[in-house]
Amino acid sequence: MVAWIFILPTILLLLAINIFPLIWAIVLSFTNYRANQPGREVKWVGTRNYERLLSSEDIWGYLQATAHFVCWSMFFQVLLGFGLALLINRQFKGHATWTTLILLPMMLSPAVVGTFWTYIYQPQAGIFNYIINFFIDAGTFSMIGEVALAPWAIVMVDTWMWTPYVMLICLAGPRSIPDYLYEAAEVDRASKLRQFWSITLPMVLPFLMLAVLFRGIENFKMFDMVVELTSGGPGSTTELASINLKREAFEKWRTGYSSAFAILLFLTVFGLGNIYVKFLNKVKER
Amino acid sequence: MREHSGLSKTLAGVLVALYALIALIPLVWILLTGFKTPGDAISYPPTVFFEPSMEGYVNLFTSRSRQTPEYMASLPPPETWYERLVRSRNMVITGPSRFAERYMNSVIIGFGSTFLAVFLGTLAAYGFSRFKVPLKDDLLFFILSTRMMPPIAVAIPIFLMYRELGLSDTHLGMILLYTSVNISLAVWLLKGFIDEIPREYEEAAMVDGYTRIQAFLRVVLPQAKTGIAATAIFCLIFAWNEYAFALLLTSGNAQTAPPFIPIIIGEGGLDWPAVAAGTTLFLLPIVFFTIFLRQHLLRGITFGAVRK
Repeated sequence: MVAWIFILPTILLLLAINIFPLIWAIVLSFTNYRANQPGREVKWVGTRNYERLLSSEDIWGYLQATAHFVCWSMFFQVLLGFGLALLINRQFKGHATWTTLILLPMMLSPAVVGTFWTYIYQPQAGIFNYIINFFIDAGTFSMIGEVALAPWAIVMVDTWMWTPYVMLICLAGPRSIPDYLYEAAEVDRASKLRQFWSITLPMVLPFLMLAVLFRGIENFKMFDMVVELTSGGPGSTTELASINLKREAFEKWRTGYSSAFAILLFLTVFGLGNIYVKFLNKVKER
Repeated sequence: MREHSGLSKTLAGVLVALYALIALIPLVWILLTGFKTPGDAISYPPTVFFEPSMEGYVNLFTSRSRQTPEYMASLPPPETWYERLVRSRNMVITGPSRFAERYMNSVIIGFGSTFLAVFLGTLAAYGFSRFKVPLKDDLLFFILSTRMMPPIAVAIPIFLMYRELGLSDTHLGMILLYTSVNISLAVWLLKGFIDEIPREYEEAAMVDGYTRIQAFLRVVLPQAKTGIAATAIFCLIFAWNEYAFALLLTSGNAQTAPPFIPIIIGEGGLDWPAVAAGTTLFLLPIVFFTIFLRQHLLRGITFGAVRK
């Protein structure tokens, strides 16, 4: 019973500020409530909000934008983060200092960083465009103003911020590999490439997958950095699910409809997360 | 750990250093822009070497208004260096800006919620670590799953709830909200740290006549010091950086710095040197914390799943 004295305050706080609001949101998702008109009569609309959501073509557009963002940012972060981890693992002189320097971007405020990248991406005065033009003659272009470039602009900033995250988790991987595995491989005259495929990669994989899990969830929920960088534009090319949710809930004030959207998003993250964890555990067991 | 040859080490070092230098360009650029004049900040090509100016920092902390030359001539000579700087732009300082206030809000809400999350988190972590709790794994997973909610999704009912309770745009409301977000991290991290302290210490103390609470306070807490400090810094960084809730639930009174920095407007658009100055002052504490936390960073970002 003593245990509850320790645990109860935390559980109560979470019930009050997470679970109670969640239940409230579920209830609201079956109504036509609008938060900016508190006096209006609230009607039950059954599953109409959900039907509208699932039959809306726009929603698929936002989810596609989100998927593009999540998949490509994961791809580049895994590639760069894993590569950096392998290099740092060679324990060259000064590797600790360089590692700390590389880690800095991921600890910073995404919204504030997003704001500043709009300056870095400016077509005229921006340092990014200047550097690109220094190497190739690209002329005047706007990374966040052009439909073809904006989805890549947000992927790039996210990669810049979070590659260190994947790198840091991957660094723990090679350390867990016992030396005798490599020694045995040397005795068997296995090539370096072969050693990488059959020793390094399988041992690092669970760590890599863990990093992808955490980043995948975060990026699926992405709001702050992208909203400051592009506010969903141009048009709705970078309007990620969370950004559209904010528009529906706090600009158009369709509280009932946006609650339904919020619930669906939560179920998606939760469902995908659970399937992924099952898969991750299988990989770990092997 | 295998020994690598000298050449491959050097090559690895060069590649890593190259990545670090490229990745640091945006941060160096923020630092530099804070010391430019608004003209230098939007010149083409971008200037790397320029005459440093404090205009960004002065603009960040003051509100100013443009005046006619006649009015400027009628004023007594400026008393301070920053007044002189503003006057040279044909403007006068009309008062302090809201930046200092917003920064203080970030400090109050950050420290308040960190204290609360670590306090509650330490208790819960100890409970989970030392007692047989029914459905322990389910409860721990439940605590973690609260972190999977998109913040905007949580913000809708919280917005309504706070409106009813009068907690909208208050420090207390934001402290409670950030505490509830941080508590999952605090519990998971601290449980890992407390798991590593041998039970025998408390058991010995309890044989000596300590009560359970005394053993917790006098034996476990001192042992968990480092873990608690690291957890606190992680909570503080989250609360410091948070944007979505602050944007949606605060406006005048309890607004923190992140929603404020992007709207520092100068004449004809964003005042980039002032934005850069604000960004620098806002990011600097985090840079120090990161270096300080280096050892525990891996644990913190994986909720204690990877301990090295």
